[in-house]
Amino acid sequence: MIILLLILSTLCCSSSAASAENTVPNEQLQQLIQRVETQYNGDSAHALTTMSVSTSHWQRTLTMEFWSWQRERFLTRILRPAKEKGVGTLKIERKVWNYLPKVDRVIKIPSSMMGGAWMGSHITNDDLVKSSHVDEDYLFTLLHADEQRYQIECLPRPDSATVWGKLIYTIDRPTLTPKQIRYFDEDMLLVRTIFFDQLHQIDERIIPMRMRVQPADKPGEQTVLHYQSIEFDTGIGPEFFSLRNLKKH
Amino acid sequence: MLIKLAFFNLWRNSRRTLLTLSAMVISAAMLILALGIFSGMFADMLASTTELYHGHIVISKRGYQDKRDLYTNFSADSKTLNLLKKQPYIQGISTRLRVFGLLSHREETRPAELLGVEFSHEAQVTTLKQKLIAGRFPDNFRPDEGIIGSTLARRLKIAPGQQLVFVTQAADGSIGNALFTVCGIFSSGDQIRDASLALVDQRWLQELMALPAVVHEIALRIDQPLLAADQATVLQKLLDSELTLGVLDVMDWGELLPQMQEAIASYDISRMILVLILYSAAGVGVLNTFYMSVMERSHEFGILLAIGMPPTRLRHLVLLESLILSVISVSCALLLGGILTMYMQQVGIDLSDQMGAVTYAGGTIAPHLRAVHELGNYMLPAISLLMVSLLASYFPARRASNLQPVDVIRGL
Repeated sequence: MIILLLILSTLCCSSSAASAENTVPNEQLQQLIQRVETQYNGDSAHALTTMSVSTSHWQRTLTMEFWSWQRERFLTRILRPAKEKGVGTLKIERKVWNYLPKVDRVIKIPSSMMGGAWMGSHITNDDLVKSSHVDEDYLFTLLHADEQRYQIECLPRPDSATVWGKLIYTIDRPTLTPKQIRYFDEDMLLVRTIFFDQLHQIDERIIPMRMRVQPADKPGEQTVLHYQSIEFDTGIGPEFFSLRNLKKH
Repeated sequence: MLIKLAFFNLWRNSRRTLLTLSAMVISAAMLILALGIFSGMFADMLASTTELYHGHIVISKRGYQDKRDLYTNFSADSKTLNLLKKQPYIQGISTRLRVFGLLSHREETRPAELLGVEFSHEAQVTTLKQKLIAGRFPDNFRPDEGIIGSTLARRLKIAPGQQLVFVTQAADGSIGNALFTVCGIFSSGDQIRDASLALVDQRWLQELMALPAVVHEIALRIDQPLLAADQATVLQKLLDSELTLGVLDVMDWGELLPQMQEAIASYDISRMILVLILYSAAGVGVLNTFYMSVMERSHEFGILLAIGMPPTRLRHLVLLESLILSVISVSCALLLGGILTMYMQQVGIDLSDQMGAVTYAGGTIAPHLRAVHELGNYMLPAISLLMVSLLASYFPARRASNLQPVDVIRGL
């Protein structure tokens, strides 16, 4: 918390002079991005969510249960609809598996498919499991700062293999929560935007309970991930996240 | 009279005539053979590409080939299929559902394209059945069997008899997943297909995808693949008039494989260049022969002119000599070229010791040279040989007709 206050104060100072904006140390922006990227994680977390996906051909809602341990381990399982009940995803470090109860098989997602859609939504496997760490793989520049918000541009580090060509975070200044994140490809074309809203206080954290993914090339389509409930520091340890547990349903 | 004279003149110096003749015959015959082998390579390439995967003509819903959108499908109803069956030039019809997803076996997962087919029909259009290197071709009785490419099989570490999981997003948004047994492995030589293609039962795939009774393509095999563009146009008109207008697109392999069409177009140009180079040499030879023969006969031409032969007739005489010579050499060249091409068609040259298959413009050239007969490969050398020799004899003929009788006779 002290660190955050420090960041905050530094950012306040820098915002007063436009020319000084680019002189904000990269580490402080990195910490801010890290905070945003790990807002749903905590030491451990347990959540109940609904995910509504609308495409031009169909519309569906899934109810899912999530568990996570720091940001290294992650498990989710579909509760509804009945046809897909028990379908699960497990992430350990940067590896991802899906479990398919109908055929009783676990399949490992190859790293080349991490950019693929997760469960038919506009969320990629990569988003879901955060297998890439934005705060570690990108370099940051403060584009804009005022009373209400910060705008931070993230460009890939030259030595890291990243999914995106550029990211722009818009962060709500009073709460330090994300308002939106814009994702650009290598040609700097907007691919999608994620909007966050419905701020809610849980323990000491303020987090957005709703996340809406809007693909740029399909204005009529979107995915809304809505946290029904989330609790932090539930005491779940890393051993919970195993292939054996993935198959339980 | 003039023809007789021309013949007589040619045989007067038979050695020179025969030398010229043989040069013309051999150059034209070799050219015919070379073009035959070229065409053979392209026919090979075309067959490898179209008959391994696409078929010669593909019918799909308008727009499907641009985006491969899962939802751009249509129902291949009995009316459409019966209409196709009635066309005499269509030799095979296969309906296909094309789906992209993940194939997984134990620890290995790979992206793949699944082609939902009726196996007995597919075997009439493509040659994958002949390309099996392990296992067997599925029959239509077991719905959960399929065949996969050799590279894909190696990467998935799977052998015939083992099960694969296929996962994808079905048309209703749900997670489509099912198991099928690999009963055969094919190796087509086409690296892309071998690394990504699997063929499965159409009904099985339709059910998995929640896409009952629809397909993305109807692939056709026709009797003359090189005429596919014309047949596709005819078929398009027929479908437009018999079915609802503008729903289905008929595409020939040239549209589906533009790089292949470009390769063939560039072949046509290189064929012209080859002809040009070879014949400019042959043309100079003919020019030389006729100049020599006209110079030699200056004295007698002078006398002919002196006794009252019109200069135009003299010019015609020389041109006629060259025409006779070229007609004879063209006929011999056609015969010889035909025999050589036929030999290369029947026997060919096996290069598999020296090289492997070459993938070029999306097609595969087998390491076996084989010629094919093609009308253009005979017409082009024949007609250009005639043109070149007539052109080459024009100048000597003009010279003969422009001789001044008094000068040449006195000049002796």
